[in-house]
Amino acid sequence: MIKLIEKIEGEAKLNFSFEKGLIDFVEIEFLSTRNIEKILQNKNALDALVITPRVCGICNHAHLMASVQALESCYEELELSNRAKITRELTLNFEIIHNHFKWFYLTIMPLMGYKQYLLKATQPSQLMAKAIATIAGQYPHTSYSIVGGVVSDIGMMDLIKVENYIDKTLKFFEQNLVYAKSDEFLECNNSNKLLSKEGDLPNLVNKIKDNGWSNVGKSYDRFIAFGENSYFKKGKSIKTRLTTNIYIDKVQEASNINSYAKNVLYKERYYEVGPLSRAMINKTPLIKDSHRKYGDSILSRILARVCEIPQLLNHSKKLIKQLDLSEPSYIKPKIDISDITALGSSAIEASRGTLIHKVNIKNGIIQKYDIITPTQWNLANGTKESLGVSQKAMIGLENTQLAELSFKSFDVCSVCTTH
Amino acid sequence: MSIKRADKKKEKKELIMQRALELFASKGFYSTTIPDIALSLKMSVGNIYNYFKSKDILAKEIIKYISIYLGNKLKDINEKDISTQEKTRQIVEVYFGVALLKPEMIDYFLRIYLSNREVFQDGCEGMICVNEFVTEIMIYFEEGVECGDLRDQDFFSAFGLFMGYLGGMVFLKGENILPKKLDEYVDDISINIYKALRT
Amino acid sequence: MLSKKLKILWLTAITCNGNTHSFLNYPHLDIFMDTFEFIYHPSIDSAYTLNDIINKEIACDILIIEGSISTEYIKADAPIVDIINKYASKVQKIVTVGTCASFGGMFRESDYKDTTGLHFDKERPTSLFEHIKEKTISLSGCPVHPDIIANTLYSIEKKRAIELDSLLRPKEFFAYTVHNGCTRNEYFEYKIDNHQFGKKEGCMFYDHGCHAPYTHGSCNKILWNEVNSKTRAGLSCMGCTEPTFPKGDFFHTKKNMGIPQYLPFGVAKRTYLTLAGITKAFHIKRLEEDLFDD
Repeated sequence: MIKLIEKIEGEAKLNFSFEKGLIDFVEIEFLSTRNIEKILQNKNALDALVITPRVCGICNHAHLMASVQALESCYEELELSNRAKITRELTLNFEIIHNHFKWFYLTIMPLMGYKQYLLKATQPSQLMAKAIATIAGQYPHTSYSIVGGVVSDIGMMDLIKVENYIDKTLKFFEQNLVYAKSDEFLECNNSNKLLSKEGDLPNLVNKIKDNGWSNVGKSYDRFIAFGENSYFKKGKSIKTRLTTNIYIDKVQEASNINSYAKNVLYKERYYEVGPLSRAMINKTPLIKDSHRKYGDSILSRILARVCEIPQLLNHSKKLIKQLDLSEPSYIKPKIDISDITALGSSAIEASRGTLIHKVNIKNGIIQKYDIITPTQWNLANGTKESLGVSQKAMIGLENTQLAELSFKSFDVCSVCTTH
Repeated sequence: MSIKRADKKKEKKELIMQRALELFASKGFYSTTIPDIALSLKMSVGNIYNYFKSKDILAKEIIKYISIYLGNKLKDINEKDISTQEKTRQIVEVYFGVALLKPEMIDYFLRIYLSNREVFQDGCEGMICVNEFVTEIMIYFEEGVECGDLRDQDFFSAFGLFMGYLGGMVFLKGENILPKKLDEYVDDISINIYKALRT
Repeated sequence: MLSKKLKILWLTAITCNGNTHSFLNYPHLDIFMDTFEFIYHPSIDSAYTLNDIINKEIACDILIIEGSISTEYIKADAPIVDIINKYASKVQKIVTVGTCASFGGMFRESDYKDTTGLHFDKERPTSLFEHIKEKTISLSGCPVHPDIIANTLYSIEKKRAIELDSLLRPKEFFAYTVHNGCTRNEYFEYKIDNHQFGKKEGCMFYDHGCHAPYTHGSCNKILWNEVNSKTRAGLSCMGCTEPTFPKGDFFHTKKNMGIPQYLPFGVAKRTYLTLAGITKAFHIKRLEEDLFDD
């Protein structure tokens, strides 16, 4: 039975086979490709900063950040101010937050039988877009982060504006998602306590529990995150066993006969990426508690994703306090990129998980560009013997509606997958 | 003022500038006074001041006059549908032609305008007073690069090569050092310039 | 009772969904949704599925197309060209959102055969959809600004005539250049050409590839996300509303012997160089110093 999954920044086909009334296997097929990697070939290296955001309308900023870091890694020596680093982290945080609101209100709530609250998605996501635009000019599709820093020279008054957008977004969170002070939410380490509150998040999660779906969507219980910044840690966690020594060169991309998307593995094993992985690696108490109770289920995934909203808002406020506006935003690289011949790579945490860019440049011209998106990790289309993460999450479920919920709990992005 | 009267005034102005140029060339810039120019034109000194309020103003007007004169000639060449190499030749030809026909013009540009910058500080900043001429040289360069004939480089490195070379030849001519007539050098010099600038 | 709302089909072809997300930044979606209804949208819930759209006869007033188009591109098992033709014949207006749908854009370079915009392959008119051209309005931009989408849809709803340029773009948005309203204009006017990235001061036209003086758009008039623009923030305009997008070499001004190859719209080279020559002769202390210097 084939089901077309829609409104995931494009479409995908799930081809289910049932055995004794339960899903026995599911094939995931993405239906198109746009060849961004090929478009990048023979272009000037800096053009990647304009082209790669066009991989995706919803996580364009993550691609910009991955791209600039991949290019910067081509330099043996490159000076980057703290101000530039913090500014980049801020705008990327805002994109992640913006995405999570959209996902919760546009995708997950309707799947659980609620009306789609369009404005609840757009109000806070617009605030975050404004915060990005204040710093980076516009959202989506800015290229304000360039090799050597960021192009903008924001002032104190701009920062006040950004702080207000953050506060307003936090207030939205407190008045809609969880009726509680966000400080209280951030300190909460007991998912039952959270679920005793009112608000769209506890209401939705309680509905999952009431439906008896708390354990739906479990996969390998293997998590990985390569992106590192002042908030996210790098590492992998198998169940709760954490290792921090992981290497990008052990990430393999394998082509996939049935789909335009390529599968991604780490040392020949599938891993989940995204907010739940990050929370497991960061050892976020609330999510660890949920994981203890419900495992790597849709419930934990939803909690982990929404939980990142106040976490990142709060962390962004701290980052703003660390910004020293007397530092330069941009330090011109000593060597022009047209004199650089090198291999570079980067890994950052995007809304949906680890995003990797790899580049090979010769005298500043792109020879080869590889993009590995989070959805490729989570939505690998494996075989029956070696299931991808989301495939495993759907096996054993009794209907395609639950399968779709499990599938979408990974926050699927078709356009990213089919770059 | 009627059109006729305006035209007449313009003509008279040009006449004064032309005579001043000749006197500057023969007597030197500093030794030539407004009364000298008036005398040579059989005009009253007061009347000259109706046209130019001071010698400095006259000096600036003259450089603009030369720039427009040369600029117009170059504009005609730039607007022709000919190769960059041919344009190069025609520009050299025009420049040497002017040096022959109106040597006082080139002389003024090289010996007075470039050597007495203090006179031209106020009102002739940068290249304002030679704008028409420089603009045409820019267009010649820009179009040459755009069509792939000329090698892209800094404007001044190309401008210096071009003008320095032509100026040098006119200087040698003025010192009576050149064995041949200036126009006999047009072909070789334009080939040299083109070879130096081409891709 | 039948809904009186104007029915819109938002159809995506070869795209990044950037216009979809740009539209979600429209600040007045609440009242917008009182007037319009999406029979299909890439992220807003709709009464119909893609299969319904393709297989059933559904009433529709406006067809929005996002993404470049190729005869090879298949959406939910149907050629995109067939879906477009099916709805194009019944709608009042067709609106292409984004530069891909309008001119081919970034994904003109994708691997699909003959990928173009709906009516243009860059500036060159194409013939495949000639029969529906009179219904079309092109809203270019990568992405297009949400106000441009919403206000164009409102003018269709209010049945007001929209004046279009030769590329079918509403003049009210595209007669301006992106340069209009840029906060860095003084640096352009007076040819202060020492821009450095990371500074409030300076103009990116001279060295850093800013396309704003020769790009049609209202970015600096209506501002992005109601607060800013790329050029105000210090990022060069990439010329994303133009059929020539993406030109490439975005951070570098193409110059021939130091003279910019692309000049402000309608300004002859001679005029530009003459003016530049004059302004460059002067030194304006205020503009040569940092804004906050005493």
